[in-house]
Amino acid sequence: MATVAYRNIVKSYGAVRVMEDLSLDIADGEFAVLLGPSGCGKTTLLRMTAGLETVTGGDLLIDGARMNEVHPRDRDIAMVFQNYALYPTMPVWENIGFSLEVRKLPKAEIRKKVEAAAAVLNLTDYLDRYPRELSGGQRQRVAMGRAMVREAKVFLFDEPLSNLDAKLRAQMRMEIRQLHDRLETTTIYVTHDQIEAMTMADKIVLMKGGRIEQVGTPDDLFDAPASLYAADFIGTPAINLIEGAVVDGAFKSAGIHLPLPPGTAATAGQRVTAGLRPSDMTLGAAGSITGRVVLAEKTGVEQNVHLDIGGADFVVTAPRDVSVRPDETVQADIPPQKIHLFDSASGARL
Amino acid sequence: MIVESASRRRVRTVLAVAVVALFVFPLYYWTTTAFKDAREIFNIPPNVWTFDPTLKNFEEVFGISLGFLRQQEVLPGGGNFYMAPRLWDSIVVALGSTALAIAISVLAAYALSRMDFRGRHAFVGWVLSTRMMPPVAVAIPMFFIYKDIGLMDSYLGIILMHTLINLPLGVLLLKSFFDDIPKEIDESALIDGASRFLVFRRVILPMAKGGIAATAVLCFIFSWTEFIFVLTLTQTGLKTVPVVSSSFVTSTGTAWGNMAALGVAAMVPAFLFILLVQKQLVRGLTLGSLKQ
Ligand SMILES: Nc1ncnc2c1ncn2[C@@H]1O[C@H](COP(=O)(O)OP(=O)(O)OP(=O)(O)O)[C@@H](O)[C@H]1O
Ligand SMILES: [Mg+2]
Repeated sequence: MATVAYRNIVKSYGAVRVMEDLSLDIADGEFAVLLGPSGCGKTTLLRMTAGLETVTGGDLLIDGARMNEVHPRDRDIAMVFQNYALYPTMPVWENIGFSLEVRKLPKAEIRKKVEAAAAVLNLTDYLDRYPRELSGGQRQRVAMGRAMVREAKVFLFDEPLSNLDAKLRAQMRMEIRQLHDRLETTTIYVTHDQIEAMTMADKIVLMKGGRIEQVGTPDDLFDAPASLYAADFIGTPAINLIEGAVVDGAFKSAGIHLPLPPGTAATAGQRVTAGLRPSDMTLGAAGSITGRVVLAEKTGVEQNVHLDIGGADFVVTAPRDVSVRPDETVQADIPPQKIHLFDSASGARL
Repeated sequence: MIVESASRRRVRTVLAVAVVALFVFPLYYWTTTAFKDAREIFNIPPNVWTFDPTLKNFEEVFGISLGFLRQQEVLPGGGNFYMAPRLWDSIVVALGSTALAIAISVLAAYALSRMDFRGRHAFVGWVLSTRMMPPVAVAIPMFFIYKDIGLMDSYLGIILMHTLINLPLGVLLLKSFFDDIPKEIDESALIDGASRFLVFRRVILPMAKGGIAATAVLCFIFSWTEFIFVLTLTQTGLKTVPVVSSSFVTSTGTAWGNMAALGVAAMVPAFLFILLVQKQLVRGLTLGSLKQ
């Protein structure tokens, strides 16, 4: 159980600065997800937390104590690597028990803890196997087991599910989250998959180019994205972004005429971008948006209807039973409070 | 196996056998020479498949140790052809220098592969550069140095010399094996609470067994066949097989049969050594391509 705090963290590799003045607080027992595209510094931040990478500037605090110069061994942190980093010459039980063996625990106690972890992770039948004899999902669980027996203060995960197939990923997502709810260990979890972030996180930390773009609950990020970037990153299918201007107290663009959302800071004449989530819209006989149907993609539960509006692709999610034909002209509508407006130049939410 | 037509397979088999025969034939001829009488060795046409086998050459070379001869009988007015102790010298030198070279280079290679220190990259080049000088250029100064510090004509002296020459190869080869092991494995063990040395001993070393075996074989073979340094740095205390082979060339002619007998006998320990590490070796030589 621990809190983790980053105070004005700076990181450079030689002359290249990859992280600038990053500050973040992670509460005791929280499941925090670092989310962002490739190269935005998620792994770097995680490795600094573990002590595998030096911190160039600022302070890293665990439970309020400064950790910048503390050896990884003494940080009481457990980490699951993207490639699992299992010890190939040791059987599963030794992989899981290695940290306890290093700490010179009695053999019987190690055995007990390893067996308990294996039972939780469904690995009991595989304890004598070697990592190369396991499937990807089983290896992933061994890596989890290694972290579990530690009873460490903080768990760090670096894209632990990226090597698994979609079905297994969905299952492990749930298992990891359930494990966290049981152990209540402070967890920092890195991913570039927004679905993982949305489904698992207590708190999402959205990163971009070594900076934090937005911090909040999954609902915060979905319902009130702080910037164009955040709006575009979260949600599938992606949010529709339409450039336009505020004219006569309304948003105007080619083929679209929308009321302004209540409480917006947008001013008359301003160049703004409207963000409309496909799932917030409804297809109907009347509406403020008019477009020509290009294609309807069935996803199973519903369908994503692609519209051509002034040459741009526009997606509306509709129930499966709504029938649309290509080249048909349809209307779509959205409640005003669901419209997100951003300043086109700065990307900031208005 | 990949599907192919019978005729194609036959052609391939014939080619394979021909190539293998090409490599094995000299070995076969050398081995049979060891069992031939001196008069028969240079018969024209050569007796390749049929000859009168004799153990005479082996008796002369290993007579005393095999119990056929007593020391004084070995010298019927010619050179001393009794070579069993020389074989022992070779074994001591080769095993000793291989063990020492591996022990040092495995630690150095791990440090070079994993630890960040100033001049790390220059260090690798520097290690390599020590092999750029021709050995002969080193042998003469080493002769005087060894004379002064008293390592002349001793096992330790030759073992150190061979270790020295093998180190660059060992360090670079093992470094490449360590480089192939993902760094995350070390890091994971460090986070798990292990010290650097424990990580090395418990986690990395067992993974690098194949690489170590491959390196050891190369070191062993080098020492087993090295000539120049043993020639210049020994007198009577010890002589390894390659050097002593030249003593079969005498003023009254060359004892080819005896030379072949020693050569055949010298293959045995090297062969045994390779056999011993073979299981690891295959893994070592294919590491990278078969990495899981
Ligand atoms: N050892 C290094 N030397 C120099 N630059 C590095 C080094 N490691 C990472 N970087 C740079 O730091 C930035 C952040 O890298 P990082 O690995 O943290 O990205 P990431 O968010 O984890 O990306 P991914 O999702 O692809 O894993 C990148 O621009 C990368 O090029
Ligand atoms: Mg990464």
